[in-house]
Amino acid sequence: MPPRLLLALCLLATPALAHGPTRQKLELSVDVAAPPDKVWAVIGNFHDLSWVPAVAQVTGAGGNDPDTAKRDVVLKTGGAWHDEELSDYDATNMTYGTFLPHVDVKVLPVADFSTHLSVTATAGGSHVEWRSAFYRGYPNNNPPPDLNEAAAVRAVTAICQPALDGLKARFGASGH
Amino acid sequence: MLDLATRRIAATIPVGGKPAGIAMSADGHLAFVTSPSAQMVSVIDVPGRRILRRIAAPGGPLGIAVQPAGRRLYVADWYGSQVLVIDPAAGTILAHVQVGNSPSGLAVTPDGRMLVVADRLSNAISLVETATLREVARVAVGTHPFGVAVDQAGTHAYTADVESNTVSVVDLTARRLAGTIKVGKRPYVVALAGGRGFVTNELASTVTAFDLATLQKLATIPVGDYPEGIEAGPHGRMLYVANWDSNTVSIIDAATMAVVGTMPGGSSPRAFGTFIRP
Repeated sequence: MPPRLLLALCLLATPALAHGPTRQKLELSVDVAAPPDKVWAVIGNFHDLSWVPAVAQVTGAGGNDPDTAKRDVVLKTGGAWHDEELSDYDATNMTYGTFLPHVDVKVLPVADFSTHLSVTATAGGSHVEWRSAFYRGYPNNNPPPDLNEAAAVRAVTAICQPALDGLKARFGASGH
Repeated sequence: MLDLATRRIAATIPVGGKPAGIAMSADGHLAFVTSPSAQMVSVIDVPGRRILRRIAAPGGPLGIAVQPAGRRLYVADWYGSQVLVIDPAAGTILAHVQVGNSPSGLAVTPDGRMLVVADRLSNAISLVETATLREVARVAVGTHPFGVAVDQAGTHAYTADVESNTVSVVDLTARRLAGTIKVGKRPYVVALAGGRGFVTNELASTVTAFDLATLQKLATIPVGDYPEGIEAGPHGRMLYVANWDSNTVSIIDAATMAVVGTMPGGSSPRAFGTFIRP
């Protein structure tokens, strides 16, 4: 009998509608020389982005309850987004997820922006991973250069990468 | 291609054009894969592990379904409001069927007579008679239906409504909405097995199981992140879930509704459609 096979398509394309056809995945991480609970204490609150240099202010309600939590984020550039949701929160496993249903593309040139932040233990301390998924800011065919996939990746990287670099500076680097 | 017995990657076939949707022929010999950014459908010889032919499919080819006899392919154009009807052997487009806006998921009833189309921006499903290639009914469902599944009896269709976080149940005989189930955040695709429905919730990283008779929620099953395609395997004992973000495939026992294993899933697996070889 031939082996039963399953096709798992390898793709980045996500044709969903009212946004571009290709969902982007951005995976950034850093290894730091501090135990996970110390790192989680700094980054594990949905309403505290003081560890993200690009962010000026966070206001919101609902604590860390995925059913009710929402936050408004003001960037140091002056732009802001509203009603970002907490899609899942697990303090035991030190991970939470976010979802932003709408953002002005002048503030962040993306659509359907979601993230997962997690801390896991390593031999030398902690591994912090910040994964983002999003579409480009332009919903139709032939996006202008400032609203294409590359622009979206650049914009999200510009927020996430300095934050991870900051954790490394704060806790010290770890090579695992 | 993943081997379900060894739970390993058995082969990788470059398709190109950011492949999105997939439909398996009833005999498991052919797989039909859409590539929206290359506007084409690839016909894959599954045992031979090679691409047999490419078929041009203008627009935004996304959802795909194959007629049980394998002589017709249906391809949804998500930029528009039509379904392409393709002869997979000749590689030609035979007809265009007008449906609702931004058709996404497709399913064919087991008798081959009806094509069910999830019209995402019309918040409805279109029922298309395959003999006449005409839309004979449109039934309102939840907000932004994406994936759609039809049961073995061909009497009910189930849509995953992305924006309303629901699964809609449509009675295909009466052609009306028969029920709505509240599920997790951003439901994407529905699979059916053993009298139960299983829907992937993208943002919740879970699968919601529900009873098809009572439409009551039975379980919330944690899987990988961004679960998308889901389908029942041989005899309906296990379900396989492609986790786009985690790059894995979760295996769910349909009876216990628990994850019993995880396989590597390549890079960003999606598997939107039918993807398991019978």
